Amino acid sequence: MRDSLREMFAMIELELRRLKHDRTELYTRAVQPILWLAVYGTVMGHVRAIPTDVIPYLDYITPGVLLQSTIFVSVFYGLTIVWERETGILKKLLVAPASRYATVIGRSIASGVRAIVQAFIIIPVAMLLGVKFVLNPLYFFTAFLILFFVSGGFAAISIFVASIMKTRERFMGIGQALIMPLFFASSALYPIKLMPTALQYFAIFNPLTYAADAVRGLMISGDLTNLLPDVAAIAIFDIVMFTVASISFRKIIE
Amino acid sequence: MLAIEVRQLVKIYAGKVKALDGVDFTVNAGDIFALLGPNGSGKTTLMRILTTQFKPTSGEAYIFGFDVVKNDAEVRKSISYVPQETSVWTDIIGFENLLIYAKIYGIPSNYREKIIWEALESMSLDAIANNLVKTYSGGMIRRLEIACAMIIKPKLMFLDEPTIGLDPSARKAVWEKLTSFRKEYGTTIFFNTHYMDEADYYSDEIAIMDKGKMVKFGTASELKHSIRREVIQFNLRNHGVNENVLKIIRSMDFVSNVAIHNSELNVVCCGCRDRVT
Repeated sequence: MRDSLREMFAMIELELRRLKHDRTELYTRAVQPILWLAVYGTVMGHVRAIPTDVIPYLDYITPGVLLQSTIFVSVFYGLTIVWERETGILKKLLVAPASRYATVIGRSIASGVRAIVQAFIIIPVAMLLGVKFVLNPLYFFTAFLILFFVSGGFAAISIFVASIMKTRERFMGIGQALIMPLFFASSALYPIKLMPTALQYFAIFNPLTYAADAVRGLMISGDLTNLLPDVAAIAIFDIVMFTVASISFRKIIE
Repeated sequence: MLAIEVRQLVKIYAGKVKALDGVDFTVNAGDIFALLGPNGSGKTTLMRILTTQFKPTSGEAYIFGFDVVKNDAEVRKSISYVPQETSVWTDIIGFENLLIYAKIYGIPSNYREKIIWEALESMSLDAIANNLVKTYSGGMIRRLEIACAMIIKPKLMFLDEPTIGLDPSARKAVWEKLTSFRKEYGTTIFFNTHYMDEADYYSDEIAIMDKGKMVKFGTASELKHSIRREVIQFNLRNHGVNENVLKIIRSMDFVSNVAIHNSELNVVCCGCRDRVT
């Protein structure tokens, strides 16, 4: 257990050190979510095309855009694993004392850390655009924890995909095909009740729906009615994905 | 005491390709053991089973008495491994690479930095320790990888082609560090190589693998005596060699085989020391 925790913390430190040396990715990845807020959010908010009750549209989509941007980082984390498989890094890590489960969970959690750093760029931009956040440090902290664990779960999905798609080219295609449908079929951009019935059923099984709902409650509306079921859904998603990724991880090296 | 004990080890990939076909051997603790063989002979598969990355199809392997399948966690505590491919993060600095590995292996914080700097100095990397690894040459990266393997002071070190891509002087320097490390800490070193001279000069015992089997086993002089042949290695310094020259060498009556690997020409011959002037 101690070996596993050590490896997890070392992996988190590795990601932070990587970011310290090269922040380019952090800024370039921020462009897309900023466009979602500044262009799409602002325009759709002005035309009032999507009813979001008492919450202004730009405020409504901010948690969704935050999630999209963080899971984007996580989903493409599998690329790092594919690259590390092509080099000898993964082999060397697998010879370290920690268990394979720790390696998978450690890498996923480390990706979560890398992903939430993204939020520190998007939130100030959203504030500049007029989004009103609930100014409660505890709520913010909880929202970040949720972003962190959802990102970890998506990183686990990406490790699972990397175990099947063993080349970077194949992985790129799958990564794109995974994020956008999940993003559009969740409550990130519009309330679920506005979706066609079939898509509503899909949204029920989409972890982004619960994550967007929880982060919106904590950061924007202050309404925590659904927080517990949302957190439970995210916990189930993480446990399932960490388990699946850990089992499939062996395939990456063979 | 035995560092490695392997009994009837078999590995079959995807139910078809037999990479290891009943391998048996032992390595004494504190020895330097070289594994030679052509590409595809099963050297890397054997090393990956011994380092607990793969499970064998059948047979048994023990590292200091621990079964590599049943006690894999115990095995991993006593070994370090340098794979053939690049195994350091190139987007952080050299010092940080060692720091991350030191943390993974739980080296106590009070003497972590001391151990890291010792390893960097021993591999002559201290002057560039604060540079990003992507600015290092191939030889520097290899030395950094070996430094990573050294910081945990393992009982057994696995090196897969440790000096591949290094020039002769860098190869010599790496082996001098490895042999002095072995002397200081009693570490057993198990390595794969294509360089027969390395196996000859630095190892206590040599095994030769071919088609998943261990075909020869013994000290360098025992092997030379048993095959009654020697190998002369010529460094081509990336100039290549003319096909006509190869034909002439092959036609010599005391030459039994000629092979080019990387930038080296290996001539297997019988009584060549007396014949070549």
